Amino acid sequence: MSGPRLTVVHTLALAGIDAHPVRLECAVSGGLPGLRLVGLPDAAVREAGERVRAALQRSGFRWPPLRIVVNLAPADLPKVGTGFDLPLALAVLAASDQVDARGLEDLRVHGEVGLDGTLRGVPGVLAVAIGAQRLGAGRLLVPEEGSSVAAAVAGLEVWPARDLAEAAALVSRRIEPRPVRRAGPPGSGAAAGAGAGAGAGAGSGAGSGPCSGVEDGADLSDVRGQPVARRAVEIAAAGGHHLLLVGPPGCGKSMLARRMVTVLPDLDEDEQLEVATIHGVAGGPCAVPSPRPPVRAPQTGVTAAALVGGGAGPGRPGELSLAHRGLLVLDELLETPRPVLDALRQPLEEGRVVIDRARVRVVLPARVQLVATTNPCPCGMLGHPRRACTCRPDRLDRYRARLSGPLFDRIDVHVAMLPVPRARLTGPADGDTSAEVAARVLRARRFARARQGPVLNRDAPWGAVHATASTSARALLADGLDVLGASARAHDRCLRVARTVADLAGADTVEEEHVAEAMGLRLTGLPT
Amino acid sequence: MSTLLAVSKAARAVCADGTDPDALAAVLAWSCGPRRSADALRRRLRDRPEGVGAEVGAALALAAVAHEDGGLAGPLADVALRIVATWTRLGVQVALVGDPAYPASLAEGWPDLDAPVLLAWRGQPPADAGPGVAVVGSRNASAYGTAIAELVAESAARAGARVVSGGAVGIDAAAHTAALGLPGGTTVVLGCGHAVAYPAAHARPGGLFDRVLADGGTLVSELLPEGAPHPGVIRARNRIVAGLAAVTVVVEGGRRSGSLLTAGAAAERGRDVLAVPGDVLAPGSVAPLRLLSEGARPFTGPRDVLAVLGLDAGPAARRVDVAPAGLPAALPDAVGRALARAGPRGVATEELAGLHPGGPGGLLADLTRARIAGSVEMLPGGVRLRTTRPSDR
Repeated sequence: MSGPRLTVVHTLALAGIDAHPVRLECAVSGGLPGLRLVGLPDAAVREAGERVRAALQRSGFRWPPLRIVVNLAPADLPKVGTGFDLPLALAVLAASDQVDARGLEDLRVHGEVGLDGTLRGVPGVLAVAIGAQRLGAGRLLVPEEGSSVAAAVAGLEVWPARDLAEAAALVSRRIEPRPVRRAGPPGSGAAAGAGAGAGAGAGSGAGSGPCSGVEDGADLSDVRGQPVARRAVEIAAAGGHHLLLVGPPGCGKSMLARRMVTVLPDLDEDEQLEVATIHGVAGGPCAVPSPRPPVRAPQTGVTAAALVGGGAGPGRPGELSLAHRGLLVLDELLETPRPVLDALRQPLEEGRVVIDRARVRVVLPARVQLVATTNPCPCGMLGHPRRACTCRPDRLDRYRARLSGPLFDRIDVHVAMLPVPRARLTGPADGDTSAEVAARVLRARRFARARQGPVLNRDAPWGAVHATASTSARALLADGLDVLGASARAHDRCLRVARTVADLAGADTVEEEHVAEAMGLRLTGLPT
Repeated sequence: MSTLLAVSKAARAVCADGTDPDALAAVLAWSCGPRRSADALRRRLRDRPEGVGAEVGAALALAAVAHEDGGLAGPLADVALRIVATWTRLGVQVALVGDPAYPASLAEGWPDLDAPVLLAWRGQPPADAGPGVAVVGSRNASAYGTAIAELVAESAARAGARVVSGGAVGIDAAAHTAALGLPGGTTVVLGCGHAVAYPAAHARPGGLFDRVLADGGTLVSELLPEGAPHPGVIRARNRIVAGLAAVTVVVEGGRRSGSLLTAGAAAERGRDVLAVPGDVLAPGSVAPLRLLSEGARPFTGPRDVLAVLGLDAGPAARRVDVAPAGLPAALPDAVGRALARAGPRGVATEELAGLHPGGPGGLLADLTRARIAGSVEMLPGGVRLRTTRPSDR
């Protein structure tokens, strides 16, 4: 053989949820047989050689007895995961004339190869597919497992392959690609997709929790009494406002927090795709586009790293990103260590998480609605009608100082709850069902959308919100907050909540009445 | 090396009218020695065979006893000089027990009964105020306890009686705050020296202590200026609270509450003790309920307190005794009536929502207006009518 022979396979590398184009260059030359991988491969990529060699032989191909050098370009982008197996296998086959190299030119390839030659799905196939589509690649060759998720991306031809032999035949155009069933339509998607997603994310570990924190059949009407807290839930849902429920243990605050999602409207198609992309990268079971907003309810002891994401390599989405377009439910917010609370602040403000690593800066979306619960005092009994608070005054003061800290300033709606009398707990349901509330929430959101486009009142431009307030409403806000001693930020948050109250009432202008109610939802006798 | 004479000269700046600087210098220098306490001096005096001697006067007797130990010059006098300098800087006045400026109600029964040998104060001289009403209770006050403390203090101060309490947060602070701006005024008995900022929340500039002084009130301490707020001295100050008052009202307190000590000191002096009946299940009711079972009189309204002082409750006290003058204008009648019925314990917001014709939304809006008007205040999870005027807060 004279001079090295070069073949190129186009693939993609994930950093966060962004897929970057990668050229897998394979040079084959005479010399001592062996494989050398360069271009910042991680451990899983380096092991690809071993997997592919076994898989080729099991699938009836031969491993060429040549010196093979594989470069993953651009060489400075870290490559992580098992998705480079299939590109490597096809590159070796093309270099040794076992498949037609011309078939690789207009194709992007991504997938893991098993030792027996079967192809396995890789977490993040949806992110890969979206990346491929954005890069203008018309075709994406992926393992059949998870391919239905990739097919949800419009304008992309997805070629599924069950094993290496089928993939080789597809590249050489010896067979026609099978049609792929699109995943994700409401109803059918959940069950089928959960299977595929779970397979793809096998071994993904802690990040993969249930996508809806609510057991089946949970309904807002399960909560007895608490009309003010329910009203707060309705308003928070309609405007996307962060919600804090404060009350002694057993007053139903967690129950209410977990039912919040049942009154949220469905996500639109773009949002569904965003959510599924993030969950796909994390390897969670919600990697299939689904109309219901995600709910993440991490444990009380959650760390800042688990919330924000990151970890080794390309930036694994944390709870904040997994709750993108949905709810982040945090119980016992004040038991959460300070660094974790601090980690929440910026993402809540900006709607995204920025992870800086040595070689890459990953930005993950994190447009979440925070639903938090906490006790009114360290012992939890402050204000309880039948129990007495036993907190020492200095501890109470410190607790109060945290309650009025900068994070709590960013939470729009605060409700102080007390336990419902036992007699009412066992009585008939006395509030609206989730369906009834959800209908009102949806109407309010449509009303707001007609005015300001697809942005929640929580995030709407300040000027747009302010412009719709009547003079008397503004006056009440300015005077009232002054009397009640609230911060400047409270002014902003209150008017946004008032805008939502007006939306729920179908009012074009924010009136005094709406502002008064919004102020009642912020200054609820919490110790401040 | 300073001499007692130097201390005496410097002490003129802090001596109240009628207090002998020589006597104060001797007592101070003696107090600075090792293992000395005001109580030890009192016991020595009590146990003297010849007694206190009316012709000598308590202050001179004290000085004589202090002198008997000898060696008051030198290092002890140096320390005493520094103490006098600190007091002078803080504007403190001092009187020895038996002096004209020392409150007679506190000196009563001395030296058989315990009373501070010296009393240091800022603000109005405590003897001028006359016997007051002690309002005592725990730092960890419930909404009910706070409301009662405010009720007692406000009605007493309005009728011209001085409120007396400790300097702690909770009941103490509620009582002082409610008395501000009213004719009777208020006296804070500190659990530390005048140069110590304790509790920090009250001692900071613009805090409760500054407001009491600005209002013509008094801060009292028996300790040397750097005296630290040890649990022991904080308990001991309860006898001063009781001694300065003609009647003691125990509002709330736990099993080992210091308010029991105050009540004990008051009973020892033959003064009236009233206990506020509280929630039987609440830990803060243990002390008052125990006092009631031991024969203390129940507090049933401000008139009980004022009658002891021979003061007329006046229309104001009768008004706060029952309920605020009218229902808040911002709230619908049903909500206002429920709040008036519940009194200082308040009503859960969730319960009020059922009474409001506009439901939870209407209630929240009206509550905001009522709060801005100052007619209601929020509790954790609830609301109550406001009994004290907003300007006092």
